[in-house]
Amino acid sequence: MNRRSFLGAATTLTVGSGLLLNGCTGKGGASDGSKAGSTPLKQLDGTYIPDLPDKAMDGPVIKAGVVGCGGRGSGAAFDFLNSGDNLVIAALADVFPDRLNSLRDRLKNEKGIEVPEDKCFIGFDAYKQLIDSDLDMVLLTTPPAFRPIHFKYAVEKGKHAFMEKPILVDPTGYRTIIAASKQAEVKKLNVVVGTQRRHQRCYVEAFKKVKDGMIGEITGGNVYWNGGMLWYVDRKPEFSDMEWMIRDWVNWGWLSGDHIVEQHVHNLDVFNWFSGKKVVKATAFGDRVRRVTGDQFDFFSVDFEYEGGIHMHSMCRQIDGCSNNVSEFIQGSKGSWSSGDNTIRDLEGKELWKFDGEAEGKEHTQTNAYVLEHVDMVNHIRSNKLVNQAEAAAYSCLCAVLGRESAYTGKTITWDEISASTMNLMPENPKIGPMDMTGYVVHKPGTGK
Amino acid sequence: MTKNKHIIAWFVLGVALGISLLLAIITTYNYTSSDAYCQSCHIHTKADKSWPLSTHVNNESGVTVHCVDCHLPRKKGLHQWISKVELGVKDVYTYWTKDSASIDWESKQQLEYAVKYIPNEACKECHTNLFPKNITDEGVTAHLYYTEKEESLNLQCISCHLDAGHVMPNYAHKKLAGIPGISTSNTELFAASTPVKSFESFIEKIPGTAVSFSMKAIPAGTFQMGSSEKESFRREDEAPVREVTVSPFFMAEIEVTWDQYWAFYSETYSEGRTAPEFVYKNNSSNPDVDGISGPTPPFGFPDQGWGGVDRPAITMTYYAAETFCQWLTKKTGKLYRLPTEAEWEYAARGGTQTPYFFEGNPKTFSSQGFLHRFFEPDTAVINRYVVYQLNSKNKSKEPSQVAPNPFGLKNMLGNVMEYCSDYYQPDAYAQTDKTVKDPKGPASGEERVVRGGYYALDASEMRCAARDYTRHEQWLRTDPQQPKSIWWYSDIKGIGFRVVCEKESALTSTVNDTNKKQ
Repeated sequence: MNRRSFLGAATTLTVGSGLLLNGCTGKGGASDGSKAGSTPLKQLDGTYIPDLPDKAMDGPVIKAGVVGCGGRGSGAAFDFLNSGDNLVIAALADVFPDRLNSLRDRLKNEKGIEVPEDKCFIGFDAYKQLIDSDLDMVLLTTPPAFRPIHFKYAVEKGKHAFMEKPILVDPTGYRTIIAASKQAEVKKLNVVVGTQRRHQRCYVEAFKKVKDGMIGEITGGNVYWNGGMLWYVDRKPEFSDMEWMIRDWVNWGWLSGDHIVEQHVHNLDVFNWFSGKKVVKATAFGDRVRRVTGDQFDFFSVDFEYEGGIHMHSMCRQIDGCSNNVSEFIQGSKGSWSSGDNTIRDLEGKELWKFDGEAEGKEHTQTNAYVLEHVDMVNHIRSNKLVNQAEAAAYSCLCAVLGRESAYTGKTITWDEISASTMNLMPENPKIGPMDMTGYVVHKPGTGK
Repeated sequence: MTKNKHIIAWFVLGVALGISLLLAIITTYNYTSSDAYCQSCHIHTKADKSWPLSTHVNNESGVTVHCVDCHLPRKKGLHQWISKVELGVKDVYTYWTKDSASIDWESKQQLEYAVKYIPNEACKECHTNLFPKNITDEGVTAHLYYTEKEESLNLQCISCHLDAGHVMPNYAHKKLAGIPGISTSNTELFAASTPVKSFESFIEKIPGTAVSFSMKAIPAGTFQMGSSEKESFRREDEAPVREVTVSPFFMAEIEVTWDQYWAFYSETYSEGRTAPEFVYKNNSSNPDVDGISGPTPPFGFPDQGWGGVDRPAITMTYYAAETFCQWLTKKTGKLYRLPTEAEWEYAARGGTQTPYFFEGNPKTFSSQGFLHRFFEPDTAVINRYVVYQLNSKNKSKEPSQVAPNPFGLKNMLGNVMEYCSDYYQPDAYAQTDKTVKDPKGPASGEERVVRGGYYALDASEMRCAARDYTRHEQWLRTDPQQPKSIWWYSDIKGIGFRVVCEKESALTSTVNDTNKKQ
């Protein structure tokens, strides 16, 4: 992996995919478990369960634009194009010409799609020009800090949106997303978020079992993203402060939200999704020991307290050479579920149900959740149905922010405090150039003697 | 055959009658739901005039929201019919039995009454999206708070948007801008505070402002604090009765006025919010008078637009009242503070040991009890001294409206509740000896003692011995900010305070002269 180039992100994403999807490779028959012991399907409280066909239905052309052409944007663009027919990328926007051109070239070489010069936009305001350029939908895939303002503008202009996670890095962003999401509902716009576990068959099937009462009432959980470090970009002489930080964005808190938000949100989101419960407060710690650039922590450990006094422990780490585990575990009154091996067990450890990954591979031609989420998006647009994942994703992202801020400060923080906090990490009038870097230091919780 | 004909005839007649009846009901319903009909009976001319000026009529979209749209549940059906009949019966009864001119329409538009006439569901029937286009970040914060707490805290749309249906400048949905003017006719800015040579009442002047106020010398004394089982309406927390000795002190003749409070605000307020811990730390570091951190601008008009020169300042928190005293101390060079609970009760009694400092039994004045459903209480005596439920029209009054107690203090009972520096504990009196000098209350606690009751409460709460306490969280129920305001309460209007000044500090103080300082 080339750490010195922004392309590293794409490589990481591919490597990461294996990790993310590993849950689905579980073998073994789908033992139907002790159906007799489970209660009838619980109220789904409007919880959305997607259909997961291999390919999107046919329909008129959908023209999408990509805002943020780095690894994440390139990935999303191809996943979108691979999800069905009559889908085009019609416009591109990025802060850096080299990022934009690399995706433009790939589109031409691999998909035969030529994005004309006048549909390529450069700069911090490029998203506006792109959104105004006759599109049906946008793929919002810049570093997360910019997601809220991009989404807000897209909704204002009536565009369907796919947003890569995370979709916010601070409480101000949370509120922007919530308001825009409500407006999207009114305008009948579809919004899908790249928390792709919600479109991954092994998770969706497990979710149905949990909702069906197979593990009883949820009494707690543990979620993990313990993995290696991502990548970093050394500063080059020609980089201004802003350019360097954006190229090295996964290491800067104001841009990525720190890795608890940027990456671990996946796992937090699974617990929120499965349990349907609301966070009350969080107590956390974390620190930095190996990271080379930026101002982020290397690891977090968070005790989330949910309504009803239920605790969920979250841990995430980005350090090479440690034991890795990317999964979720949920404990219920009758049993437990782990996404590690996609198995539901009773309280004695006896297997009640297991997702059959092999069978999925035989039955389906498409098993990549990154593509399936776009299939779902396209199907909703083409069938005039509505899906909006913005609020659920925003909720999980703010949970991650809550954990982060608790670790940064060493204090217990409540949901009420974080959701109404005026914290706003976005610099005023961001532009490529020098910045006051004094504020970008690693947080130190508590006091010392 | 004729039999059949009869049946058919009756049937046709029945259907015709049924249809006529239905038509009549619909016509009546529609007729009685028109704005004109509402206004024909309700002689609330103010409401009629303020409605067309509100955003529900006077708006960019040209949509008119009618009386029934807000005052009845909007969803058509049995629920709406029942509500309509309920309201209608009440209205007709009022129309025939009461004189509209005698109805206190002004207090009916206050939140406590308005909630009875604006079903929240009516608002939400139209306002389906609480996060509309162009909503501000503050708006999103507030509406998120509302959606998350609506049920648990029983929040209403009009808790914040009271002026939505009728223009009400005093309850406008906005932050206070600027510094309210001072209403005193005095234009002279005082150069120095008042020197005190002997233990006698004096007029204190706040240097650098045009504001002055009267301080009464309260002599030392011993009294029975609390109430015995014989006293009507007495509660457990007023026992056991103790013999309390109080050292001499000065006490303000009246509750702190808006003039005094705005003077403090104008010198200490800060536009932006600062984290409470920084404010606490700063103010506890004994800063110079210019360094004191005071209130942030309140939402809306804390004086409720009630006007008047000497009307008490209200809705400030205990911390704000305490900071006011800190500021006043620095301004005047005399030690001003909030009274202890013992000082307060001693001063309120003014040497008496009866339920009130004037003659009379609480049972006579109170509206509580079975008999008072039929007979109005005898209020002749209490009316002279106390602003309370039966004479207040749901707002505070100026001190000139009442007579003082034997110590020359006004509004000790009624008008607005007053902070004491003691922490509240129901068994506070049992925690000390039966004979005690200058008690300061429990060492710790959650809430502070408030005394004297306020304008909306019954006479039983106006007793000298009656104890009450702050309800911090409840009084900040609708404040959507995080952290919630440390300066202003959003959900209590009848809270104010009165300052005391320590005798020694007044007699030994060197006069604070703003001219000298500069």
